[in-house]
Amino acid sequence: MSGERKKLLELKKLKKYFPVRRGVNIKAVEDVTFSIYEGEKFGVVGESGCGKSTLGRVILQLYPQTSGACIYYGRTRDEMCPKYLAKEVARLPAYQKAAVDFYQKSVGVEKKADVLRGEIEALSALGSDKEVKKEAKLQKKLSELEFQARELRKDASRQLREGSRTVGSLILCKDLPKIQALFDQAQKATAAAASAMKKFREYEKQYEEGRVDGAPDSGLKAKMDAARAEADRLVETSRNYRLQAFRDYRGKDVLPITERTQDPAYQAKLDGNYETGINLGKLTGDEMRELRREMQMIFQDPAASLDPRQSVGKSIEEVFVINTDFPAEVRREKTMDLLEKVGLKREHYYSYPNALSGGQKQRVGIARAIALDTKFVVLDESVSALDVSVQAQILQLLNELSAEKHLTYFFITHDLGVVKHFCDRILVMYLGNACELADSKALFHTPLHPYTESLLASVPRLKVGQEHSTESVLEGDVPSAMTPPSGCPFHTRCARCMDICSREKPLMKEREPGHFVACHLYGKEKGAPRS
Amino acid sequence: MGKKVLEVKDLVTTFRIDKKEYEVLRGVSFDIEENETLCMVGESGCGKSVTTLSIMDLLPGNGRVVSGSIKLNGQELTTMSPRERNAVRGKQMGMIFQEPMTALNPLLTIGRQMTEELILHRNMSKKEAYDTAVGYLEKVGIANPADRMKQFPFQLSGGLRQRIMIAMVMAVKPSLLIADEPTTALDVTIQKQVLVLLNKLKKDVSTGVLFITHDLGVVAEIADRVVILYSGRKVEEGSIGAIFSKPLHPYTIGLMRAVPNVDEDSFDIQPIPGTFPNITEEIGGCRFHPRCPYATDRCRAEVPAELEVEPGHLVCCHKVAEEYGKEGHR
Repeated sequence: MSGERKKLLELKKLKKYFPVRRGVNIKAVEDVTFSIYEGEKFGVVGESGCGKSTLGRVILQLYPQTSGACIYYGRTRDEMCPKYLAKEVARLPAYQKAAVDFYQKSVGVEKKADVLRGEIEALSALGSDKEVKKEAKLQKKLSELEFQARELRKDASRQLREGSRTVGSLILCKDLPKIQALFDQAQKATAAAASAMKKFREYEKQYEEGRVDGAPDSGLKAKMDAARAEADRLVETSRNYRLQAFRDYRGKDVLPITERTQDPAYQAKLDGNYETGINLGKLTGDEMRELRREMQMIFQDPAASLDPRQSVGKSIEEVFVINTDFPAEVRREKTMDLLEKVGLKREHYYSYPNALSGGQKQRVGIARAIALDTKFVVLDESVSALDVSVQAQILQLLNELSAEKHLTYFFITHDLGVVKHFCDRILVMYLGNACELADSKALFHTPLHPYTESLLASVPRLKVGQEHSTESVLEGDVPSAMTPPSGCPFHTRCARCMDICSREKPLMKEREPGHFVACHLYGKEKGAPRS
Repeated sequence: MGKKVLEVKDLVTTFRIDKKEYEVLRGVSFDIEENETLCMVGESGCGKSVTTLSIMDLLPGNGRVVSGSIKLNGQELTTMSPRERNAVRGKQMGMIFQEPMTALNPLLTIGRQMTEELILHRNMSKKEAYDTAVGYLEKVGIANPADRMKQFPFQLSGGLRQRIMIAMVMAVKPSLLIADEPTTALDVTIQKQVLVLLNKLKKDVSTGVLFITHDLGVVAEIADRVVILYSGRKVEEGSIGAIFSKPLHPYTIGLMRAVPNVDEDSFDIQPIPGTFPNITEEIGGCRFHPRCPYATDRCRAEVPAELEVEPGHLVCCHKVAEEYGKEGHR
């Protein structure tokens, strides 16, 4: 199922630490890995301080990430050519060389280890007390060497992995300069496409001006189409250069960098690392600003995110002022259209935020977020401050907009009722860690993680008469993120805590199709007993 | 029938804004018995908090109670002098606020704040007060209370602070406890802890509780009876069972439908159309009629009277009145 859907965003071991003082960090987000698919409403729930808001902001690069990668597939590298790519391409030979060096070193260490092994064997054949002591000493030395060799090998594959992000398994090829040349050409084509796009925007501006004046110039329309087609063609060319690189060189002249490089499975794995998307963490500020047209955020408190001294119309128009070259009349026209789209009246253009109710203010926030060609919206508790009747109105609006504009939502909330009915998939977070990720139905019917269970149990129900259970009440508070518990972060409050929980951190594993959980209860086999 | 702790009748509170008086409460009546939790539900701006402030006499400078009566244990509060009122407040009725950090003094230790009121209201010696305070901290489920007594509010988490607020109020053994959205700022797991605690303590101390909230889930968990307010007027009142199984007022029904229910699989969002009226807005007749799908001319002209549909179940709606006949009690 997940194979058919197109990924929009992929997080790989994303980490965000906030430094407090030397050596002490608040571990707000810890190794979070998951993907968001296009058109999906992805929900994140958790208690306050679990890192859900931080995660949302890190995705939009409002906070720089500490480590890990956040890859955006809304645009391919053929359509937008960030500067880091050129640098990475230029560094390819360096990666390859470093990998070779590391591997050679590890081979050298191995040789030493072999010599040692021979000595040990000779000694153990003799078998006297003195020799046994010496043997133990050598054994220790041997294991040190073995460790060293292993680490060097790891370093070698790390270098290859870095390189494979840019060119896949081509990093193993001998003809690296030729590959680099092809990739550079591809990049040039993309740059040309960008300038064609600029031309398109220029024509579009002129066209819109004409349209507002009541005399749309049909000649311009043709020019616009031509520019657009030109841009599309160049993007295609760029793609072809890359495809050509893969076609011509993949699997040919593979260098024996490590013992695995000839293995097709390993090559396929490296190909898997190839990023067609854009690594948001490596973008420059300007490039990220360019992408902000597509990636937007709606905040919790609509009043705080609007300027009280600016009329609603001006607030929304600002988006066009910053991001487009539209003349004033066009901007006003577009703003009014937007106001209607989010269920406000055109007259609201002239009102100030203090004259609007909470729900209306939130509508303005939504209008601002969808003003440009938005694809991805982070909603940080966007309906939490609203009363239930208004909350339902806003949810309805968001639903309509997502269907109409094919938006993808990253919906952060603590309200389980809302996520259940609004979101397609839900991620449960606890203390910066992902606990469980599943379809919303599956999560509510068969929660696997004990934290999810107790979270669900503590939601006030709309049912009267039944004895409200007090057993599942969680004891205590969320621990500090500065000094999170060892092992599983939830083990201090978990009713089903085992020995292993305090020692080892559980990894996120797929227990049922599409249902991921990080818990030792399901450690060994699939579908382990839950008692 | 238990003893009536609080009786509020036709309470009208106004606020002066730009030299004009606006009615925020337009005649609200309800009462609370001993050992009973009355939940007051409504959207922001409906007057729930103003009701509590009117009872506590903590209205801001531009607000005042114009008419109506508030009786605590049979004592009329509205005619009391500020000094007499001061003696009642804190001793006979206590209040828990939404944000415990703003209600606690950040400069004083928990112990100092807890003993102060015991010495003041229950005439205890310092030693007695200390022991009682520790006892109550234990009662609200705080581990090693003696250490907590020495701590300052900022050293405690939100859930702990709210527990301490509860302990503080309950230690005085008031006959009425007013809780104004005490769990809204808390996470669900902590909210659950606090609700369980409140239920337990209510039985121990036998107080009446006026619980203000906008969360219908919390209502279902804690309430004995429910009052639903809309724009300064009571629209429906009834036992928790009646309100949840048989809501009658269109607003109550709309409110129930607008809440996404965790237990249900299918839910199509059905918001109440329109927006909540501002207090400065003049709306004739029933305040809800601009948003009501059943509004008639009569709703626009005439304020609906309170009708007892079943014993204890009161509704203010022309439509319901017509269905049930004028005399109510079918």
